[in-house]
Amino acid sequence: MIFKLAWRNIWRNKRRTLIVVVSIVVSVSVLLLIDTLSMGMMKQMLDNQINLHIAHIQIHKRGFNDDKTLKNYIPDSEKIEEVLRQIDEIKFYSRRVISYGLINSAFNSSGVIIVGVEPEREKNITIISRSIVEGKYIGEDRGIILGKKLAQKLNVEIGDKVVLMVSDLNGNVSSDVFRVIGLYESPSSEFDKVYVYIPIESAQQLLGLGDKVIEFALILKDQNFINSVKDKIARAIGNSYEVLSYDDISPLIRIGIEMYKELIWIYYLIFGIAVGFGVVNIMLMSVFERVREFGVLKAIGMKNKKIFALILLESFMIGVVGTIIGLVIGLVLYLPLSKTGVDLGIFAESLAWFGSGRIIYPVLTEFTLSLLIFTMPFISLIGAIYPAIKSIKFEPVEALKHI
Amino acid sequence: MTLIKTENLTKIYSDGKVQVEALKSVNLEIEAGEFVVVAGPSGSGKTTLLNLIGGLDKPTDGKVYLEGVDISLLKRDEMADFRLRKIGFIFQAYNLIPVLTAFENVELPLILLGISESERRKRVMEVLNLLEIGELADKKPNEMSGGQQQRVAVARAIVTNPSIVLADEPTAHLDSKTGAMLIDLMQEMNRKRGITFVICSHDPQVIQKAGRLIKLRDGTIEDDKKFW
Ligand SMILES: Nc1ncnc2c1ncn2[C@@H]1O[C@H](COP(=O)(O)OP(=O)(O)OP(=O)(O)O)[C@@H](O)[C@H]1O
Ligand SMILES: [Mg+2]
Repeated sequence: MIFKLAWRNIWRNKRRTLIVVVSIVVSVSVLLLIDTLSMGMMKQMLDNQINLHIAHIQIHKRGFNDDKTLKNYIPDSEKIEEVLRQIDEIKFYSRRVISYGLINSAFNSSGVIIVGVEPEREKNITIISRSIVEGKYIGEDRGIILGKKLAQKLNVEIGDKVVLMVSDLNGNVSSDVFRVIGLYESPSSEFDKVYVYIPIESAQQLLGLGDKVIEFALILKDQNFINSVKDKIARAIGNSYEVLSYDDISPLIRIGIEMYKELIWIYYLIFGIAVGFGVVNIMLMSVFERVREFGVLKAIGMKNKKIFALILLESFMIGVVGTIIGLVIGLVLYLPLSKTGVDLGIFAESLAWFGSGRIIYPVLTEFTLSLLIFTMPFISLIGAIYPAIKSIKFEPVEALKHI
Repeated sequence: MTLIKTENLTKIYSDGKVQVEALKSVNLEIEAGEFVVVAGPSGSGKTTLLNLIGGLDKPTDGKVYLEGVDISLLKRDEMADFRLRKIGFIFQAYNLIPVLTAFENVELPLILLGISESERRKRVMEVLNLLEIGELADKKPNEMSGGQQQRVAVARAIVTNPSIVLADEPTAHLDSKTGAMLIDLMQEMNRKRGITFVICSHDPQVIQKAGRLIKLRDGTIEDDKKFW
């Protein structure tokens, strides 16, 4: 009965209630889109970091992460490979040689990170092989691929020659000529300006490393295995190596994502406050219009706490109705977008800088969903407390004088 | 049995400077089963007396006993409960909850009492039929005439089988024919169910039906006559 009473009461002034319901509907559906897009963007940023270069786990000689020089090479990569082959959760791994260097064209030069990779194996680790926009992927001797951005800066095209200059293992300057065979474009423009790829043998030769490598990059069957596999490897290969997850290597991403998650709260706060004011407003109006009725209810013998609960329930129902409609509308918009993605072309520059790519696929997490479900009904409840207090403040005699 | 007893009941309204002594040390005893009309000119204190008896307001001085209970000792929720079980109210107008049908309005106090749905249905229909307004059951207050609304209000007041029904000018907004029918109805309920009625009114039709007529003037009892 109290439900029936509350439900009918909220529709007494349809227009007034609808205004608040609509504001909740809009808030919930907009929040759903903002939140899922942000989540999608963060996830893509993280995935891109993993897929572009870092991979799930990296293995180096101990000390490499603090001092990224060639002398920290891995002396016995066969032993490590043996260990990796025995761990089931590892899907792919690849060996790499990495060095800072200078790239020179006839027109310009630039500081770069030279990555020597095993072309076939690396295909399974990163998306570089799938990001070629001109020419082809590495494979042949002395072929190099660059980011398109870098190629523009150096003013080189496919087929042009460039010179890589490094300081080799012994500290001597070493250089070699490479032919540009492919240009890539990744989701991160900053990355594209810096990373260049050559076959691992070419890199070993250039750097005087013999057959030594600098790092292993691993992709696991499931991200959830990362910490356990990390420990497993570390135990197996011993203390003279460091085994790091993407999170150890690039903690800034995680910190950035956590900050971003906190920023999303601001949206909830803004919409929540707006809706909250609306609720306080209409519930106060509705209470003041019904003062006499509360007097009658009290004269009949209804207790104050029941009347209090009635007002809260009315407001809560408004919150629930708005939330349900808002969720339906939000989901109807979200579902197709989560398949096609949202092309944020106008922000392409900054998105490329963040490294998320310009097409964002919104992601709805359980956390977001529950936040969306509970926020507005909760705010409606809170917003009704003051009006509800008002409703029971009147003494019955005073209330009955109201018409 | 003495159902209602007031002892030196006094009510002084003061809003800052002006003080109005609405009731001056009223002593009154009403037996169970009486049909009392409280008459008197406007401002004589009728409503004040009724509100104090019903526990809707607190006296400045003096006491009200209902069935021997000093109601000043009851806490707010206990008083609400007491009203729910023992007292029915009928006001001048706007007695009903506008979003509820006649049936639901009458049902409301039974719900507050926690009575089961089937029992509620039985008792509400019984009262509505008794008052010959069974066909109004599904009507909302704004679909009923003033007289019909007041009948529903009577039904709601008596559905819990209270000891007392307090009615404040129940016929004030009705034409004389409807008013006469309503007062007849109340008298019938008084006779059939033994419910004590205390009705404030200056409507001659009502005064004429009184079993006991109490005349108030300036907050004191000027006259108290018992006819039956
Ligand atoms: N809340 C109040 N504040 C101040 N004075 C009041 C208040 N309520 C009633 N009074 C005064 O108390 C006196 C008695 O009022 P009451 O309403 O009891 O009279 P009544 O007999 O019911 O009159 P009526 O026939 O007009 O309804 C009047 O002088 C009235 O002005
Ligand atoms: Mg009066």
